[in-house]
This record gives sequence, structure tokens and C-alpha cells, in this order.
Amino acid sequence: MATNIPENLKYTKEHEWALVEGDTVTIGITDFAQSALGDIVFLEVPDVGSELKLGSTFGVVESIKSVSDLYSPVTGEVVSKNSDVEGSPEKINSDAYGAWLIKVKAKDLSELKNLMSAQQYQEFCNTSH
Amino acid sequence: MTLFRTHLYEEHVKLGGKIVPFAGWEMPVQYTSVKDEALAVRNNVGVFDVSHMGEFFVEGKDAEKFIDQLVTNDIQGAPMGKAVYSPLCRENGTVIDDLIVYKLAPNRVMICVNASNIDKDFNWMKSKHKGFDCTFTNKSDEYSLLALQGPKAFSVLSSLVKDLKDIEYYSVVESGNLILARTGYTGEDGFEIFGPHEAIKSLWQNFMEMKVVPCGLASRDVLRMEVCYPLYGHELNDELNPYDAGLGWTVKGSKPNFIGKDALASKTSKHKLVKLVLDKGIPREGYPVLNSKQEVIGVVASGTMSVVLNKGIALARIHVDKAPQDEVFLVDIRQKPYPAQLVKKPFVTGGHK
Repeated sequence: MATNIPENLKYTKEHEWALVEGDTVTIGITDFAQSALGDIVFLEVPDVGSELKLGSTFGVVESIKSVSDLYSPVTGEVVSKNSDVEGSPEKINSDAYGAWLIKVKAKDLSELKNLMSAQQYQEFCNTSH
Repeated sequence: MTLFRTHLYEEHVKLGGKIVPFAGWEMPVQYTSVKDEALAVRNNVGVFDVSHMGEFFVEGKDAEKFIDQLVTNDIQGAPMGKAVYSPLCRENGTVIDDLIVYKLAPNRVMICVNASNIDKDFNWMKSKHKGFDCTFTNKSDEYSLLALQGPKAFSVLSSLVKDLKDIEYYSVVESGNLILARTGYTGEDGFEIFGPHEAIKSLWQNFMEMKVVPCGLASRDVLRMEVCYPLYGHELNDELNPYDAGLGWTVKGSKPNFIGKDALASKTSKHKLVKLVLDKGIPREGYPVLNSKQEVIGVVASGTMSVVLNKGIALARIHVDKAPQDEVFLVDIRQKPYPAQLVKKPFVTGGHK
């Protein structure tokens, strides 16, 4: 499957991407994930002020026929959510990296060391999923 | 367990179909987009490979009599050339399967059954076959099946099948080695085409050349939910009777006898199936249904996002004695109650004749 995997992002095994800018981490789902899900019709993300824990579920993304949990790549507090995408989740299908979901103020940036690079994620997609 | 493949498997792979295990088969669940595929059927024309389904043939003097004592609906009373939908029940009224009986010719009947129930159905029916002057054969391995569905189905098929008759909805005609039934599982006009594998494969290729949209099982499931058709394993199962699934109309108490008649005579059920629409949230199978006091009163049997309404829809099984007088329903989605509106008519009105 031809997928778009930007070099400047980091990736989880659950197919989230993370953009790290200072201690703010912007989170979305990858092009591979949106393609596998198909038509995305519902998105549920936490409100600003919610506390997220590394590896715990923070929301769901639903296609017509499936429900998938979203996993946080970092511990921290939600400082912003993309209401535009929450209202029109199909935007994730058309632009997975533009349609970010939430921004989190990370407590401990060292947690991000466990995320995959673009190259590692490409290999991960090719081999396991 | 080895999964079966239909004779069109390579075609599905070539088209980029996403293949998933379903009822022991490797089937295409979607090709491009569930939404586009479902809308193609509602507005234009799409085709499904449903060759995994089972075909039984009953031939001989007692063919109709044999089937009539097995199923709840009226077979002998239906005109020749008709298709009849019916549950197949046990003595206690529980449903073994739901199926369609096709009256092909005098003394020649075909029965189409769910893929997951082929062996269960055949063994049950075979055990009741003694004493009837007719053969009863499982020909599921010899037949492939396409469902061509949508407002343009007739015009597409009539360009390929010479002298195609504009038969009524829920009727059937034989044309050479093909069996053409005006049935389907989408609520739209269309044909289910049964035939030998090679003939069906070349029909499929013709449809692709004519730009008929290939549709997977996911869109088929959305389409059937929108028009509120039951699916065995969801609205029906081994523990439920036809009344539990709103199928009382298929139980013909006026017939002299059929298996389950006594048990079903009281027309009672512990459940009723209700139709719910949600403005927000998508109901899924297994989600609890609540009343206004947020007490559990039932469960979602099938749920999805409707591509026509762009809203969540559910067929929900409610305990009869807990059905709320105020008709207030909520669906528990991830521990949050979402309001659901009760509707009486199917969510979408199909365009079938």
C-alpha cells in the first residue's frame, strides 16, 4: 500500500502521529490508518483540560462499520482540540496530517523516545499491519 | 480452519477489494468506500458476489409439500414463479435460519440459505425428509451467486440476458443455465443471479466492463439495515422465535401443519425489535439500550451509520415487559447515554417494485 509518511513526525504502533514542538505535542492518525478505516464518520476527543496518560485511550474514531480507540503517545494535559475536524471527521480521510485531533502539553518529553521514526513506521506498516 | 474462496476471488483481489473472513469464507468487505458502494446501489447500480450462500434443490411430486411442512410461510399457496421469504423453525418455535424459497417450476423448488447455516439447515431438513416423494440436494458447491442491485439493474441485465422478462418483485425465472430472481437484500430493485461458476464469472466481468460498481459485504450490511431486513446472528438466532424479530407476518397459522406451529400459535415473544435513530453517536451491536431512568431495557442487535440519513441507526431488541410507555430510548455508547428516537417505518424506503 502506498502511504504518505512525513519525515518530521513520530509514530505509534496504533497508527497515531505526533508532531513535537517544544513541550506541545500535536496528535492525529496516520494516512495508513485513515485508508484502512475507510469513510470516517465520527470522532470523539477529550475536552481541553483533560489529563492523558501515556498509552491510554483518549478517544475514538469511527468509520461506517468500525470503532477504533485512539491511544495517547504521551502523558499530559489537552490544551487544544480541533473542533473543525470533530464536526467534519471526513477531513481525516482527505488530509490525515492536516486534520490534527488534539494538542497536548507533555509532562515528560522523554516518553517520546519510544515513538517510531518515519522510516521505522514505514517498515512497521510493511511488515506487521 | 481453511477458509473457502468464491470463484470470483481473483477478480476481487484484482479490483483492490479488501478481503476478510466471513462465515468461513474469504469475502470482499469493501473495494473503495462503503459509502460510495451503498450509494451506488441506492442511486445507480452495484453488484455483490454472494456465492458463499447456499442453494438446496427439491425436486419431485412432493417438493412443495416437503418444504411447506418445514417453513412457517405459505409455499403451496404461492403462485408458480414466486419467491417466498420464510423462517425455518424448530418444534419450539426457535429459528434455525431465514431463507428464500423459489418456486422454479411444478415439482422443482430452490431454497437459498445463509452461508453460515448451510450444514445446520441441510442436516435438519434432511432429517425431516423421510416419507416425501422428492429428492433433496445441497448444490451449494455447484452454484455461484451475484446480486445486481439498484434502479438501473434491469436495464444492465437486459442488455446481457436475451429476452429478459420484466418479472415482478419476489419472483423468479430460469433462462438457460441461469436462475434469475427479482430479489435482493438492499430494498432496491434488482436481481439475484444463480448459475454455474464460469457463467457467473463472465457475467461479473461483463458488469465490470459496464461500470457497474463492485460492492462489498460492508455496504450490503448498511443497505439491509437501512431498510430493516433481519440478518441471522443479529436480529435472529437459535434462541429467538419469528415474533421476537417482528416476523409475525411470515408465520401462517392457517396452514394445516408446519414444524413449530403449536409453539408459535400463541404469537407471544419475550422481545420486540424497535427501530432507533440517533442524531449524535453511532449505535453498534451489543450496546445497551436504556429507558429514561437509564435502566437497561434491551440491546442493539444491529447498528451502523446510515449513508442516506447520515445518522446512526439501530435495530434494537427490547424486553417486551420493559418497553417504555413514554417511548424514550437512550443508547449507551461507551458509558454515555445518547438520545435515540423511535421510528415506526424503515429508516430508508427502497425503490424496489
